[in-house]
Amino acid sequence: MALLKYESQVRPPLVDGDKDYHQVTEDIIRPIEMSPSKLWWTGFLIAVGLLCFGIYSVYRDVTYGIGQWNLNKTVGWGWDITNFVWWVGIGHAGTLISAILLLFRQGWRTGVNRAAEAMTIFAVMCAGQFPIWHMGRVWMAFFVMPYPNSRGPLWSNFNSPLLWDVFAISTHFTVSLLFWYAGLLPDLASVRDRAKLKWRKLFYGLTSFGWTGSTKHWQRHEALSLVLAGLATPLVLSVHTIVSFDFATSVIPGWHTTIFPPYFVAGAIFSGFAMVQSLLLITRKVLKLEDYITIEHIDVMNKVIVLTGSIVGVAYLTELFIAWYGQNKFEGWAFMQNRVNLFSPLGWSYYIMMGCNVLSPQIFWFRKMRRNITVTFFMSVIVNIGMWFERFVIIVTSIYRDYLPSSWSTYYSPTPWEIGFYLGTFGLFFTCYFLFSKFFPVIALAEIKHILKRSGENYKEKMDHAEHESVDEFAHEMAH
Amino acid sequence: MSDKKYWQSFGERTNSEAFQKSSENEFNEELSLDGLDGKGLLDAKHPRRDFLKYLGFSTAAAALAASCETPVKKVIPYVNKPEDLIPGVANYYATTYVSGGDVVSIVAKVRDGRPIKIEGNELSTITRGGTSAKVQASVLDLYDTARLRYPVQMVNGGKKEVSTFEAFDKLVADDLGTLGSAPIVLLTSTITSPTSKEIIASFLAKYPGSKHIQYDADSYSGILLANEATYGKKSIPSYQFDEAKVIVSLGADFLGTWLSPIEFARQYAKGRKVNEKNPDVSKHYQFESILSLTGGNSDERFVHRPSETGAIALALLAELGGGVTAPALDEKLKTGIKKVAKDLLANKGKALVVSGSNNVNVQIIVNAINEAVGANGTTLNWSSPIQWRQGIDSDFASLVSDMDGGKVGALFVYGVNPAYTYYDADKFKSALKKVKASVSFNDRLDETSELCKYVIPAPHYLESWGDAEPKPGYFSLLQPTIAPLFKTRPFEESLLKWSGNASTHEDYVRAYWLRKAGSLDAYEKALQDGVVEPSSSSSGSASFSAAKVAEAASAITAQKKGDKFEVVLYQTVAAGVGNHSNNPWLLELPDPITRADWDNYAVVSPKYAIDTWGIDISNRRQADKYEVYPDKQVVKVTVGGKDVLLPALIVPGTHEKVIGIALGYGRQSADDKNTADNIGRAVVGVGKNVFPFAMFNGSTFEFFAPEATIVSTEDTYKVAQVQTHNSYEGRNEVVKEMTLADFKKSPKEILEEREEELKPYGGIEGYRAEGTLYSEYDKPGIKWGMSIDMNSCVACGACVVACHAENNVPVVGKSEVLRYHDMHWLRIDRYFSGNPNDADSIQTVFQPMLCQHCDNAPCENVCPVSATNHSTEGLNQMAYNRCIGTRYCANNCPFKVRRFNWADYTGADSFPDNQRGIVDDVVLMMNDDLSRMVLNPDVTVRSRGVMEKCSFCVQRLQEGKLNAKKENRTLKDMVDIKTACQQACPTEAIVFGDVRDRESRIAKTREDNQQRVFYALEELHVLPNVNYLAKIRNTETILGVEKEEKVEVAEKHS
Repeated sequence: MALLKYESQVRPPLVDGDKDYHQVTEDIIRPIEMSPSKLWWTGFLIAVGLLCFGIYSVYRDVTYGIGQWNLNKTVGWGWDITNFVWWVGIGHAGTLISAILLLFRQGWRTGVNRAAEAMTIFAVMCAGQFPIWHMGRVWMAFFVMPYPNSRGPLWSNFNSPLLWDVFAISTHFTVSLLFWYAGLLPDLASVRDRAKLKWRKLFYGLTSFGWTGSTKHWQRHEALSLVLAGLATPLVLSVHTIVSFDFATSVIPGWHTTIFPPYFVAGAIFSGFAMVQSLLLITRKVLKLEDYITIEHIDVMNKVIVLTGSIVGVAYLTELFIAWYGQNKFEGWAFMQNRVNLFSPLGWSYYIMMGCNVLSPQIFWFRKMRRNITVTFFMSVIVNIGMWFERFVIIVTSIYRDYLPSSWSTYYSPTPWEIGFYLGTFGLFFTCYFLFSKFFPVIALAEIKHILKRSGENYKEKMDHAEHESVDEFAHEMAH
Repeated sequence: MSDKKYWQSFGERTNSEAFQKSSENEFNEELSLDGLDGKGLLDAKHPRRDFLKYLGFSTAAAALAASCETPVKKVIPYVNKPEDLIPGVANYYATTYVSGGDVVSIVAKVRDGRPIKIEGNELSTITRGGTSAKVQASVLDLYDTARLRYPVQMVNGGKKEVSTFEAFDKLVADDLGTLGSAPIVLLTSTITSPTSKEIIASFLAKYPGSKHIQYDADSYSGILLANEATYGKKSIPSYQFDEAKVIVSLGADFLGTWLSPIEFARQYAKGRKVNEKNPDVSKHYQFESILSLTGGNSDERFVHRPSETGAIALALLAELGGGVTAPALDEKLKTGIKKVAKDLLANKGKALVVSGSNNVNVQIIVNAINEAVGANGTTLNWSSPIQWRQGIDSDFASLVSDMDGGKVGALFVYGVNPAYTYYDADKFKSALKKVKASVSFNDRLDETSELCKYVIPAPHYLESWGDAEPKPGYFSLLQPTIAPLFKTRPFEESLLKWSGNASTHEDYVRAYWLRKAGSLDAYEKALQDGVVEPSSSSSGSASFSAAKVAEAASAITAQKKGDKFEVVLYQTVAAGVGNHSNNPWLLELPDPITRADWDNYAVVSPKYAIDTWGIDISNRRQADKYEVYPDKQVVKVTVGGKDVLLPALIVPGTHEKVIGIALGYGRQSADDKNTADNIGRAVVGVGKNVFPFAMFNGSTFEFFAPEATIVSTEDTYKVAQVQTHNSYEGRNEVVKEMTLADFKKSPKEILEEREEELKPYGGIEGYRAEGTLYSEYDKPGIKWGMSIDMNSCVACGACVVACHAENNVPVVGKSEVLRYHDMHWLRIDRYFSGNPNDADSIQTVFQPMLCQHCDNAPCENVCPVSATNHSTEGLNQMAYNRCIGTRYCANNCPFKVRRFNWADYTGADSFPDNQRGIVDDVVLMMNDDLSRMVLNPDVTVRSRGVMEKCSFCVQRLQEGKLNAKKENRTLKDMVDIKTACQQACPTEAIVFGDVRDRESRIAKTREDNQQRVFYALEELHVLPNVNYLAKIRNTETILGVEKEEKVEVAEKHS
C-alpha cells in the first residue's frame, strides 16, 4: 500500500507549524480581538504625529503658497513629484501580487497578498496627495475633471500626461480597493462570527455585507476575484507607464526618453516588493505570523527584487549609452554633467541611486542572503532609498540645468514643510496600516486555508493506519 | 353729482380732532435710524419697523462679513463726466522726466486720472522715443509711500507739520529776516529749465548777495573744466556716436550711465546694426577697470587700473602723434593702444574718444586726442552742447567750507542730497548745522532734508508744470498728468512767493511760454508735442587751444602707480547715484553684468578669488560650487581709514587689482529707525554707501580710490542673482555669433548651418510641416512675431522695467529673488566667453529672453486644464483664472520664461492675512493702496498659485485692433501697436508686428536679415514666434563655441 502514501517533496510547505483550520483562524484573528499592544500604540501614535505634521505642512502650502517649498523658476517639481512617483511605484507590488500572481496560480501569494494589497491602497492614497497639494490653487483642482460644466469653452486637456495621471491613478485606486475588499469579505465574516462584543458584531456585520459562506457566495466571490484580477493586471503595466509619460512626452533632456515606460514599471515593482518586505518583516514579527509569512516568501520576493533591480540597472546603462550614442548636446549634458559628474551640484544623488538600486541588490544572488531576515530588511530599506533617489535624479537633475544656461538653478534643497509633507504621507500610510493591522485580518484567512497541507497530513495519517491493515480488513472497513 | 359721502374710519366720519391732526401730516413716519433717544431698541419711536430694519441690516451685514467673498469695493461714477475722459480709455500727455539734471521727453499714459506708464516721446530728436530703466520706473516714484505729504518744520530731529503754506512762508520769512548780511545760497542739481532759471535769477536779485550753486552727484566737472581750458567753453558738446566708425571709451559707460545713455545708445546702435548687403559694424574699444555694460558691448576690451586712465590717454595721444611722451605701461596695454591708435588714425573724422574720468587733466588729454582724430565738428558737435550737467565740484566744496565758517545765512536745497552723495558727508552735515535757516524742497525726508530746518514737499514731475532745455534751442515741456496727491508746492513757486511775486508757478510758466510761443495755439501745440525743437539739427566745431595740454600731460605723468588694490566707484543702470532709491522696480532690476539685484557688492576679479579663497571659476567643479549657493564671502574694503563690509561677487573681466563697488546704495536716515518712513520701506538694509570712498582732488571729485585694502572675512552674505551660470557652454542653438570678417567672408554660414540641421525634416522651408507627425492647419489672419537684434541690444534694461510697469509684474523682494522666485517676464540673459582668468579676453553677449510664443508650444500640451493655449494669432496665452498651478508648463518650457506666483505677491489672493512674515516688506509696500494706483487696469493682477508670462502685451494688441476696427481700416504697422518693451527700447533692437503683412517692419526685418535670423533652440520644433538676429562682433575670434575652443586648447598645449 506504499502507493497510497506517495508524496512529492519538490515544494516546501507554504504554511509552517502544522496548522489546522481552527488554529489558522485563531492565529490570524487573535490580534483583532485582543487589545493592542504597547508596541502598536507607540507605532500608531508616532504615525498619527507624523500625519499631523504633514497636515500642518500642507496647511502652510495651501495658505501661504507653494513658495513654502524651495521650488523655483527652473525647478518646478522637486520633492513633491519625486514623492508622488515613489509612492505610486510602491503601490505596484500589491497589484502585481494580487492580480498577476493569482492568474499565474502562485500559491505562495496568499500569505502576503492581503498586506500587499493594503499597502498598495495606502501607497496610492499617499501618492495622490502630492499631485493634489502641489497645485498652486488646489481649490480649483476639480477643473481637471471632464464633465459638462458652465465654465466656458475650456475643458480638460486630453493631451496632457497629467490628466492621464488623474485617470490612471484613480482607476488603479478603485480597482485595487475593490479587489482588496472583495477578498476581505469572507474574512470579515469570520471575525463577525466569532465576535462577542456588540460593536464588533455590528461593525463586522456591516462590513461583511451579509456573507454566509454559502456555495453561491463562494462561487461569485471566486468569479469576481478573477474578473478583478483580469482588470488589475494591465494596470500593473499601465499606471507607471502613464506616470512615466509625464516625463517621456516632455521636451526636457533627461525626461524625453522612450525607454521610460518599461524602466518605470520595473522600478515600480522593484520598490514595491522592497516595501512589502519591509512591512511584512515587521508585521510577521509583531503579530507573530512567522508561520504564515515564511522564509520561503521572503526568498521568493528577494528573487523578484534582484530581477527587477537588474532590469532597472540595464535601463540606467542604456540611458547612458543612448545619451552618448545619440550625440544630442543637451541630453549628453543632462547625463554626463548633471548626473554622472559626481562633482556637479547634484551629482551625488546619481551615485546614491546607482549604489542602492543596481549594486546592492546583487547580494541577492546568494541564497543565504535572500533567506537572511536582517539582510533582507536592511536591503528593503536601501532599495526604497535608492528608488526615491531615482525619481529625484530623473526629475531634478534634468530640469535644474536644461537648455538655457542662464536659467540654471541655484542649489535645490527642501524646506522643512517640503520634508514635512513627505513625512506626513508616511504618517498617513502607517496610520492606515496600523489601523488595518488592528481591525482587519492581515493575512487572507479564507485563502490561506486553501493551501493548508493539513488535509493532506490527515489523509496521510489515515493512510498510515491503512498501511498496517491487511487488504481484507481495509476492504471490510471501506464497505461499512 | 351725488353727495354721497364715503368714509374710512369713524374719525373721518365725525371729523374728529385726532383725524384732522393725522391727515395734516399724512406721511409722518420718518425713515430714521437714530430715533432711539437713548432708549432701548423696543422703546424707540418706531420699534417694530426699526427692529426689522436692524434685523435686516445686521443679517445682511453679518452674511456679507462672514462670507468668503472678496470684499467688493465700489467706485463712484462721475456726476459730471469730464469731456475728455472716457473710462477705460487712456489719455496720453507729453511731459518731461526731470531728475538730478537728467531731461528726457516722455509721454505719460493716464488711465482714469492716474498716470500708469511712461513712454518715450518720439518727437524728441534727442531720444527718438527711447527711454531708460530709470525713466520707465519713475512713474512708481509718484506713488511712493515714503513721499512727504505736508510741509514740516524739523524740531529736535522730529518733524512737526506746518498746517498751511502761509504759515510755512511766514516761518521762513521770519528766519530770512534775521539773516542780516549773511547770504542765501540756492543749492540745486543742474537746472536746465529756462523759467526756473528766470525765477531763480529774480529771487537772487531780490536778496542781494545770495547765490545759486549747482551740484551734481554724478559730476562731470572734469569735462566742463577741460573744455573751458581747451575750447574756452564751460560746457559739454553733443557726442555723435552714430558718426563714428571707431569708438574708444576710456572707462565711460556711455550706454548705461554716462551723461546721456539713451541718446548715445540709439546713436551707437545705428553703427552696430548690420546691413546684410553691405555689412559693416563700427569698432568699439573699451579701456576700463571692471566690466561695465558698455564694456560688455565692446568689441575689444583692455583692463587697467583706474589710476592708469590718464596714462592710457596720454599714451594714446603720444601714439597719435600728439607731441607728448608716453608713460610706462604694461606691454598688453601698449599693444592695445598701438592698435587703437592705428584704427583711429585710419578713421580720422569718423572716430570718437570719450572718457568717464572726472579728472580735468585726463579730459584735456582726451580733448587733444579727439582733436588729433578729427572728432571736433564731426563726432563732437559743438553747435548744440549738452546742458544737463553744469555743476562744478569746487563750487560746492567751497560752499561747504563757507557753511562751516558760518558764512552762509540760509541754504535752500533742491534736487540734491549732499548728506548722502558728498564724499565728506559728515563735514557737510556739521556745516549745515551752522546755517541759520535751511529749507529743503524735496519729495521725502532724505539724509539732507531731515537735517534742514524746514522741508516743503516738492511735487513729482508728473504733477508739475515746467520746462527744460537739455540742449540750446531744444525745449521739452512739463505738464501735470494728475492733481497733486499731497500738499506739495513747486520749488519755483516758493521762490516766487518769497521774492514777492504773487504768480503761481503754473501761471508763470504759461505766461513765459505764451510769450515765447507767440500764440495760444502755438503754446498748446507745444504742450501737446511736449517738445519745441529747431527744425534742423546743425553740427559745429569749436576752436581748440592746445595750450593746456602739456601742463595736463605733465600732471598725469607725475601720477605714480602703486601695486595696491584700487577701488572703482561705478553706477548701475538701476541705482545711479540714488535718485530713485526707493523704487522697487529698479531695486529688483538685475544688473546687466552681474545679474544681481537688491544690493551692492564688491566686484572682484577671478584672480582675486583664486588667491584668496582658492575658487577658480574656470574650473567647472569650483565654479559650480560657487554659483549654486547665494552665500558670498564678505570682504572688508578699506579706503583712507574708512571701511565697508560687502559681499564679493567674482566677475570675469575685472582687473585683478581692482574692486568695483556701485554707488547709490546704503540709504539711511540719521536714525536708522526712520529710514523706512522717511526714505522708503524698500531701501531698508539695501547695500552700503560708498560715496565716502570718492575723492576730491582739489578741483573735481574722482570716483575711484587709488589705494585700498581688501580683506576677506569669515562671514558670508546672500546676494540675490537672477542668473548664476555665466557661460552658454558653446550652445550655439541658443546664441549665435560671428565675427564681422567671417560674416563678410561667408555671409550664409548661419543660414546654411540651419538648413543643414533641419535637412532631414524638410529644411528651413518645410520644417514647420515636416518636423511633426501632425498635419498642418490653415491659420489665416494676423500672426504676431517679434525680432530681437542681438547686435543692437545693449542690455540697458529699459524693456525689463517697461514690462514690469505695463503688465503689473509683481515685485517679490530680495528674499524671494534669492530663492530664484523673481517674476520678470522679460529678462536679459548675459553670457561670458573667453578665459575668466584673462580679463581682456572676456566677450559678453546679451540675449533678451521672453516667452517665444511657440506655435508648437511644449507648455500648451502639458497643461491638464488648457489654461495655457494658442490663439489664432499665434499668441501663447494664459487664462489665469483657469490655471491651477501644476507648474508642468514651466518645467516643459525650454526657455524657462514662465513665472509662478509662489506667494501672495499682489494681495489678490482669496486667503486673507497670508503675506505678513511670508513676503518681504517691499511687497507689502507695493500692495499699499497708494502704490497700487500704478497698476495697469487693462492687465489682470495675478493671484497666488498661478503661472504667468509674457503675453506680447495682448492688451495693447487688442486696443490697437479695436482702434483699427472702429476706424474701419487695417492695422497700421508700428503705429497702432507697439509692445511695451519695443516702445521702451532706445536702440530699436525689438521689432514687433504682424508677420503676414508683407509690408510690416517685422516681415521686412526677417526678409532683409535672412543671413542672421535664427530661432533659439530651433531644432526642438517648438516653432518660436520670436526670432533673433545673430550677433556680429567686430573682433578676430568668437570665444566659447566649439570650433574656437579647440583652437584655445591647442594654444594652451603649445
